[in-house]
Amino acid sequence: MIFADNVDQPPLLRRPIVFIPALALLFLALLRADPANWPLLRGVLAAAGLGGVLGNGLAAAAVCVLVGANAYVLLRLPVRWQVAMVWVELTLALAALFVSFDLSYAFIRRKLWILVSIGLVNTLLISAVSIVLAFILAMAGAVAKLSQNGVALGVANFYTSLFRGVPLLMQIYIIYLGLPQIGVVVDAIPAGVAALSLCYGAYMTEIFRGGIESIPRGQWEAARALGLSPGQTLRQVILPQAMGVIIPPTGNQFIAMLKDSSLVSVVGVWELMYLARTQGQSEFRHIEMMLTASMIYWIFSILLELGQARIERFFGRAHAR
Amino acid sequence: MVRRFAAVASIAGALLAAAVVLAACSPASRMRPADTFARVRARGVLTVATNAGWQPQGFIDDSGQLAGFDIDVAREIARRLGVKARFQTPDWSVMTGGHWRGRWDLMVGSATPTRARAHVVDFAGVYYYSPYVFVVNRMSTARRRADLDGRRIGVETGTTSEDYIRRHLEIDDPSAPAVVYSVTPGQVRTYANSMMPFDDLRLPAGARLDAVLAPEQTALQAIRSGYPIRVLPGGYAFREPLTVVTDKDDPAWTARIRRVIAAMKADGALRVITLKWYGRDYSS
Repeated sequence: MIFADNVDQPPLLRRPIVFIPALALLFLALLRADPANWPLLRGVLAAAGLGGVLGNGLAAAAVCVLVGANAYVLLRLPVRWQVAMVWVELTLALAALFVSFDLSYAFIRRKLWILVSIGLVNTLLISAVSIVLAFILAMAGAVAKLSQNGVALGVANFYTSLFRGVPLLMQIYIIYLGLPQIGVVVDAIPAGVAALSLCYGAYMTEIFRGGIESIPRGQWEAARALGLSPGQTLRQVILPQAMGVIIPPTGNQFIAMLKDSSLVSVVGVWELMYLARTQGQSEFRHIEMMLTASMIYWIFSILLELGQARIERFFGRAHAR
Repeated sequence: MVRRFAAVASIAGALLAAAVVLAACSPASRMRPADTFARVRARGVLTVATNAGWQPQGFIDDSGQLAGFDIDVAREIARRLGVKARFQTPDWSVMTGGHWRGRWDLMVGSATPTRARAHVVDFAGVYYYSPYVFVVNRMSTARRRADLDGRRIGVETGTTSEDYIRRHLEIDDPSAPAVVYSVTPGQVRTYANSMMPFDDLRLPAGARLDAVLAPEQTALQAIRSGYPIRVLPGGYAFREPLTVVTDKDDPAWTARIRRVIAAMKADGALRVITLKWYGRDYSS
């Protein structure tokens, strides 16, 4: 949460000039919508003998009242409860959307174990190893980019330019298909891990460099004046402060990598997306498999988000009140 | 002046060193003939590239194991070579691009011996023929193949069905039956995989597609899975020969596999496997 500004104006959604037009727009949109999309409300109204335009208007009004009441209650809750309630409501809306696909849950139950025991294990393995390697590469790259050594600078510049500039899919193909041409036959998983770590290492090099550069030069000079060596200065003075800048975009990269690991399926790794595609295809149930895989990816992204929040709190403790 | 000369000399020296390093690393082994059979025998394993998303040719069953027609054929070939088969499932374009450099010994993945493909890989022999049919929505008014002239036909892109509908199917196999083109589509819609055309075809008749050209097996599988579609009567559009593929670097290995497949055809092993997976004899 950003710093709360206590200027005495009502919050946006409580101003009549905001919520009255918003509800009016919702009402008009619902009036034009096909009532067949809300079978429940229509059933209730039909039972009451109300059909046609009048029934439609009543249904739209009922929905508007519900939405308004919901907002009224929400706005009067404490912030933590507001967040929790919004999550619950949006999750229910998403679930309603999925239910409307008319999914075969028996099929999902039958295939879930394969998706998890083979697919998820491979996805997590690839992502975890790549994340560690990318972190090391990025650290080395950032130090090289900030050094006075022209060779290190040139190598680091070339590295970030090439691996940020070439599509990740191409990198996977180049490593998997190109290396055998010079006599090195790499397996699918090492090739995928290499491509993912090189690509994300290049992006994260820039994040680390930016984070380190965001610390004022005076800090380096002061640390040197106190007799710390350059390595000590970086580890004990600069990085602890730079982490606050580095962590949020790095968390982004980790979440993106978790999902980009699905690209290694092109070289035949049985990871989550590959199995979701093939399992769905063989029995014409791809929507089931795609949704299941998406939910698994989401759950693990949430875990990464939670981890990121903890790490942010740790490195942000200097600014806590 | 002297310093500038030294700088120029050291840059030239560095470039020379770089050139030497690059030359040393360049692929000198490009033309080395491989002895695939010796490698396979030494390892006791035949490494086979195949598909895992194409029932019943090759798919992952409920226990997480590969199964299917191609898998059984590959296992039988390995058995006759006295080794075990091990499978890898890369993307189709990766397998059929050639230049395997020993990564796979064989590809058993229902590949068509087209003329373009013959430039990058070798064909070790046709092992079955897959008939293609036109499929329409159950509500469609089309009764004969002629009814599809001028309509929208869906095909999987980069496959024989697309080549057929665009009328440039070139099969590099003297034993294959001659191809007769029959439908003049109004529009060809291509899809990234074999199932997406059926997803459009299942929508109310004519919403996105009027017909799909696909292997009979894929169509029957979709019908068994409850898709509201039917096969258009009037016989097969064409029969596609499908071959085992080898890398180009070892003609002796290709010849050995060709003998194995000929033997499997002669003693009825292929007939048994096609009957098991297709319910029909597709082996001749």
